[in-house]
Amino acid sequence: MSIVKTEQLTKVYGEGATAVTALNHLNLDIQPGEFVAVMGPSGCGKSTLLHLVGGLDQPTSGRVTLDGQDLSGMKDDDLARMRRRRVGLVFQFFNLIPVLTAVENVALPLILDGTKQSEAEQRAESWLTRIGLSDRMAHRPDQLSGGQQQRVAIARALVAEPPLLLADEPTGNLDSRAADEIAVLLRQISEEWQRTVLMVTHDPRIAAHAGRIVFLKDGLVVDETRLSSNGRHEEQQVRQKLEVMS
Amino acid sequence: MTFQIKLALRYLRGRKLRTTLTLFAVVFGVMIIVGFNGVLPAMKQVIQGNMAAAVEQVDLTVSSETRGSFDAALADTVRQTPGVALVAPSLVRPLITPSSQAIPAKDGTAVSSFIVRGVEPESAGQVLSVSLADGRFLQPGDTGVLLISNKLAQDTGLGVGDTLYLPAASGLMEFTVVGVTLGRPPLGSEELFMSLADAQAIYNLPGQINTIEAQFAPGSDAATVRQAVLDQLGSGYQLGGAEAGSEFATALEAAGFVFNMFGVVAVALGGFIIFITFRTIVVERRRDIGMLRAIGAGRRTILALVLTESVLLGVIGTVLGMVMGVLLASGILVGLRPIMETLLHASVGNPSFAPYVFVLAVVMGLGVTFLAGLFPALAAMRVSPLEALRPSLAEVERRRAGRSAIVGVVLVVVSFLTLLTGNVGLATLGIVLFMAGLALIGPALIYPIAGVFGGLLRLIFAREGQIAQGNLTRQPGRATVTASAITIGLALLVALGGLIASLLGGMNGWIEKTLGSDYLFIPQSLVLGGGNIGAGPQLAEAVRSTPGIGAVTTLRQTTAKVDETDLQLIGLDPVTYPQVAGLIVSDGDEATLYDALGNGRSLIVNGIFAAQNGVKRGDTLVLQTPEGPQTYQVVGVGGDFLNYKLATGYISQANMAADFNETADLLVLADQTVGADTAQVMADLQAIAREYPAFTFYSSSEWLVEIGKTLQSFNAMYVLLVILAVPSLIALINTLAINVLERTREIGTLRAVGATRRQVGRMITAESLLLAATGTVFGLLAGVWLSYILVGAMNMIGMIFSFSFSYVGIVLAVAVGLGFGVIGAMIPARQAAKMDIIRALAYE
Repeated sequence: MSIVKTEQLTKVYGEGATAVTALNHLNLDIQPGEFVAVMGPSGCGKSTLLHLVGGLDQPTSGRVTLDGQDLSGMKDDDLARMRRRRVGLVFQFFNLIPVLTAVENVALPLILDGTKQSEAEQRAESWLTRIGLSDRMAHRPDQLSGGQQQRVAIARALVAEPPLLLADEPTGNLDSRAADEIAVLLRQISEEWQRTVLMVTHDPRIAAHAGRIVFLKDGLVVDETRLSSNGRHEEQQVRQKLEVMS
Repeated sequence: MTFQIKLALRYLRGRKLRTTLTLFAVVFGVMIIVGFNGVLPAMKQVIQGNMAAAVEQVDLTVSSETRGSFDAALADTVRQTPGVALVAPSLVRPLITPSSQAIPAKDGTAVSSFIVRGVEPESAGQVLSVSLADGRFLQPGDTGVLLISNKLAQDTGLGVGDTLYLPAASGLMEFTVVGVTLGRPPLGSEELFMSLADAQAIYNLPGQINTIEAQFAPGSDAATVRQAVLDQLGSGYQLGGAEAGSEFATALEAAGFVFNMFGVVAVALGGFIIFITFRTIVVERRRDIGMLRAIGAGRRTILALVLTESVLLGVIGTVLGMVMGVLLASGILVGLRPIMETLLHASVGNPSFAPYVFVLAVVMGLGVTFLAGLFPALAAMRVSPLEALRPSLAEVERRRAGRSAIVGVVLVVVSFLTLLTGNVGLATLGIVLFMAGLALIGPALIYPIAGVFGGLLRLIFAREGQIAQGNLTRQPGRATVTASAITIGLALLVALGGLIASLLGGMNGWIEKTLGSDYLFIPQSLVLGGGNIGAGPQLAEAVRSTPGIGAVTTLRQTTAKVDETDLQLIGLDPVTYPQVAGLIVSDGDEATLYDALGNGRSLIVNGIFAAQNGVKRGDTLVLQTPEGPQTYQVVGVGGDFLNYKLATGYISQANMAADFNETADLLVLADQTVGADTAQVMADLQAIAREYPAFTFYSSSEWLVEIGKTLQSFNAMYVLLVILAVPSLIALINTLAINVLERTREIGTLRAVGATRRQVGRMITAESLLLAATGTVFGLLAGVWLSYILVGAMNMIGMIFSFSFSYVGIVLAVAVGLGFGVIGAMIPARQAAKMDIIRALAYE
């Protein structure tokens, strides 16, 4: 069964002459455990797709089914609960709370879900260790590098053990070395820890780490590639496809 | 909840300056409420303890409910009551000597305030336990002798055998000290024991007493005997003495009310500061809030997070405020102790806090901060999760004259209409509508106001002014909220300033009408009932007989009770009073009013009494008098300068003599005839005044100079204005500081593209001035209006004076408003100028 399924998904911003169709009857199926990168020119609807899949926004028409649950018509509180338990979100600008330590930031989704603080922090520490930040647990965001902050954000996204991780330009604010590390980590999340990862990116080098790349243009899927036999997309191929689309 | 408290504490600690400024506002208000409510009970305890001490020595003390005098024969009635063994009638009244007769003390001060206790020597010696330090007690037949207190003896060096001169209704009376008493603690004044006859002569009250003290027979049931005494005496009498100190208690009640109001206003201003702070916090943390929503926080969780922070601020501020309040009360009492010892002979204990004080502080402190944080918290609830995913750009509002502005216009128009009704109650509603309307229109008005003032500003800030103006017009909502800090503060200042100015102007009018005679014989205390010694008819006669003097009138004073309310009564001569002076009449025809006063039992009441008791012209009142209850008809409402702040009624002197046995003249007013020789008249009157040292003689011009000094004390009220201005200034600094924080990246960009630190500082200052100008315009409008309402309210309670607001006041208000803008910008401008460019650009 798909973990994410969109059917005729449409999102229109504005009205009348100024209306902009971000997604145009888009159909997409993502299987559990896949690492999918969504690419496309600016304004193609990739971020909008992420917002709708994560229940952050409502479609104009069409449907999103997440892990068998139809998101349309869900109440705000139910969507919030869904985001706590079923979806992990990673943002371009990390979005860590500046006054909390790394452990406290990671523990947030569990605390919001009612887990006791001590247990939440224990699980947070475990995840921070898994992603290699055991020596940074008590640091605040302003004491961490960009790459470290994004790792903390990824740990926060995973601490509640969600089946799906949504990443919106996770490397957009990082240098190339840190970006590569994050891309490798996302792949590890998918392959080793059996999570589905849906990532929006404009960087072909990062997208090449994904098992499947979906190309959007004008709100529609126009192309797709899957892993080649050597287990990697060729970055050059990805670039070429992007150039063709633009 | 633990997580929410932890997060709130972290946020508060993360912005120390802002937290401190916001906290200070709450602390200040709570401190005022707790502090002054700790001082007043301590003072009350002194008074009540003193009064209790005086009565505890005997089994029974009886006085008139009106605190006036009554026939000495009533002592026999008490004497004949079963269970009463011994009875001591007395006349106990305060006495103030003129400065020429004050007794010099060893420390350089002078003692002029006394309590005269006229007693029958035999009965007093049996009933009262008077210990002696020196000399002897009074003996039957004594006259012209008295006993002084040990404290007076020590302070002044007076002793047995020395001579004292005391003012009396007949002029001056000479006394010889025959004894020194121990341990008698009347509040504030020195006790003088003398014969009853001498005391009656001083006050011109032959055959009168005002206190009966008694001892019961052994084995009597005290409560039964007391009740039996009251039953025998009939209505109009009460247990307890007619002691000095009750006027202190009344004054303390009034002071308590004023300080509580002040504290409430300060806390409310603190709440406003918190509202501004949290409104901006929500904007500042939109991304954090969006992120929390994105990772699964529900709307209620966000509401709770913001509310927790504001309530936490309230808790900390309230606790600190209470601690500071206790310290403030202790500090005030430490400062007051020597004054109380010296002037009032009272030792003040420690501050005393009734439980309700802390309850009030908690309710105000927490309640206001909760409410102040609630609206921003509700706004935070509405932040979408998508905020987390948007780049951090400064919010640009596109405010047009939308629905809210139209509603605002309607409210302002309606508020103006309430002014036209002339009804103070409606006009009060009008000011609320006006402020609400301003808040709604504000964002729409920012653009034109910024345009007008921006043009002027660019004359000083050529380059930075344009940027500042743009910042304002891009954020009209925020600009309105910031400017409202000045609006509210300035409105309060202007309103109170206008009220004080109108009051002072009105006072002069009152003085001119009610005390505007050519010559005045004024008693020692302007509170007519405050220990003044009146004069018999000889003084007024002497003045009347002086060549060159035309009309002469006098005022007399006593007290009555109406239901349970004390009513000071002033006795007027209905024929001569309007010839020399006149009341300020708010209800009734002044042309016929005094004739009405002279007919039957008629009464004019002043505005304070009328407003407090719902009395109007045509009503009848039953006055408790020493001669029993008497019904009076209210023929008008009006007042005079000396009694404008006390509940006062005016009756004819004939009725005062008949019903209250009061005939002493306390004030003499006289007019010169046309063409008389002023120098000769003055010389003659001064000669008369020398015979009556209880009075001070003034010509009209001398009197105006003298009373001018009293009116200057009103200037102390301006200090209140300055203190009230402090929270407003804090609000402005706070908001500007937050504005700077919010625009850190923008400021970093400006610096990166070449703005100097000085230019950045000037930009913030320019913006602050624009905001101040906006706030000043609104504040001036609202303040003048509020001032008009306050004057109207004073008129309603009978203090009639016109509303006036000088151009100087307007100029001053504008200067204060703009001054706030400059001062308020100093810290934020320095903050902005000091910013490190790289850190600022990276700021999220």
